This record gives sequence, structure tokens and C-alpha cells, in this order.
Amino acid sequence: MSLHLQRVRVATTSPDTESRLVFADDFLVAVLVQLSDDHEDDAGMWFLEVGFGRLDHPMPPKFANLDEAQDWIEQRLAGNQASSTAIPAL
Amino acid sequence: MTSASDIHSKTVLVRKLESIATFSDEERQAILSLPSQTRVLKPGQDIVRDGDTPSQCCLILDGWAYRYKVLGEGRRQIFSFHIAGDIPDLQSLHLHTMDHTLATVTEATVAFIPHQSMRELTMRYPSVGAVLWRDTLVDAAIFREWMIGIGRKSAFGRIAHLFCEMYLKLESVGLASDHRCPLPMTQVDIGDALGLSNVHVNRVLQELRGKGLITLRSNTLVIHAWDEMIQASEFDPTYLHFEQRAAG
Repeated sequence: MSLHLQRVRVATTSPDTESRLVFADDFLVAVLVQLSDDHEDDAGMWFLEVGFGRLDHPMPPKFANLDEAQDWIEQRLAGNQASSTAIPAL
Repeated sequence: MTSASDIHSKTVLVRKLESIATFSDEERQAILSLPSQTRVLKPGQDIVRDGDTPSQCCLILDGWAYRYKVLGEGRRQIFSFHIAGDIPDLQSLHLHTMDHTLATVTEATVAFIPHQSMRELTMRYPSVGAVLWRDTLVDAAIFREWMIGIGRKSAFGRIAHLFCEMYLKLESVGLASDHRCPLPMTQVDIGDALGLSNVHVNRVLQELRGKGLITLRSNTLVIHAWDEMIQASEFDPTYLHFEQRAAG
């Protein structure tokens, strides 16, 4: 499995528009949205706007950067539920 | 012997219950004479915990409290917010083991009333017992509204509905007027109550501000457009069952 990101803009009805579609092979698995200055301390972080299947989460996490987001996504897709105990930046 | 400050503390309870019922002078006096022990608690302090078997009820005199439960991975669900006059753990009178935790949101002054005294009051004055039952039924009605919100409303609808509800509850006990009220909970608290991420809470608050519907600053909420807020959130105050409904 390999992840690849596609840059898009998402209509969140907020200034949070800069986004990435996340594909695992050719499956869409998540949408990450970068938080705007509206979010003060969290500005610049990447938010799991939508996660499909194993990435669906009742408390969607935020990540400091896209590498961190991809690490988390790979662990969840690999079925490592233990990774969910160490969700960064909730 | 009941002290003057002790009586004052139960005035808060009478005022709350009189928002949903009426009492005779004798019944009012019996409530005011309930024994209690007053304590000042810090913000974020558990008052009674999941699994506890309390022998007293907690009447909030000042400040805010909330009911919650924590699941794995730190997932917290807040069930309700409480203000002066509420007895959020009244159910412990009949359900002996707590199935959730009650904690303070802000610094809070609370009065602990022994279960035994509450039982004696309700046995001697069955109509007071009926009012407490009514209060419990209103509590259940509020849960139904929250269930509708979490299950079937947008983030915008849930938050606007919560703001309308808290304003009317505060207004009904004289703690708010002119569509202005205290709102001391954090964005994380709001998210944990309504099943939303704090990202979504923040977006909705920005939208509510941007549309000129509210101002929220320094823990004070001002609702500038009441009619738009109740329309957008499908808010109908019938479920609060006020005896003399607040004007809104």
C-alpha cells in the first residue's frame, strides 16, 4: 500500500479550504484540511475532515504536518488500533 | 436551627422549582428549612463520580456544573449543563449508584442536602415530591431534545439550539435578561456535549459571529437575532415546560 496526496480545495463554509485528498493505492481514504488563522493556536495544522472505513473516528485528530498525518493514516490502515491511543494534538 | 445563609441557599432552589411549578407558603417554608452544608468548589472538580453511592444531593447555588462520562481514548460525552437552582444528582435519591460523573465547569458554590431530609420532605409534602418528579421529567425532555440535535441536526443547528436553551434556562431563574447571559464553557466542552470536534465548533462560532447573530466574548453570550437563531436551530421552548414561559 502506498499513500499519495492530491491537492484540492474543500468548501467547509469557513476559511479552511486548503486541502488534500488522501489515496491509498487508488482508494480515497481521507480528506485533510489545513486550519486557517481562525483557529489561533491550531492554525496551520491538518485536520482529519473526513476519514473513510478504518479512518472514520468519533474524535477526528489534528496533525502538526502532512508527514504526521500520513504516519497516523498508515498505522490505522495497517489495523494498528493501538495507534489510536496516541492520537496527536487532539 | 437553620441559619439565615442556609435559608438563602434554598431560595435558589425554590426559585428554580417555581419556574416550573407553584408552591403554597407552607411548602415553600419546608424547602427553605432543608438542612444543608455549603461548599465552594474549584473549576473542573468532580462533585460525585460514576460508581459512587452518595447519601446527599448537590444543589448548585452559584456557578456552572455538567454531567459527563469518559470512554476509552479519552472520549468524553457531556450530557447536560447545570446552573444555580439545579440539583443535577437528584436521581441519586432513588438510583443509588451513580452511572455518570457530576463536575463543576466554573468555580461553584454548592449546598449538599442529605437524602434523608429530601425523603422526609417528599413524604410530608407529596406535592413537593410531585414537583421534583416534574423537574426530573423536564430533565428527560431536555435529553430528548439533545438526542434530536446529536442525531439529526447540523453543527450549526446544535450550537444555536444549545445557546437558546441555556439563555432561557438562565432567564427563567433571573440570571439573564435582554438576550445576554453568561456562557462559561469552553469550545471543547461544547464539542463534547454536542458530538462535534472543536474545529467544527470554532467554525460555527465564527459563522454565527460573521452573520451578526451573536457576540461571544469574555464568557458572555449576547444573542442579537433571537428569531433567526430559533428558526435556524428549530428551537421550540415547549420542552422546557416553564410555568410562566420566558418571553424569549
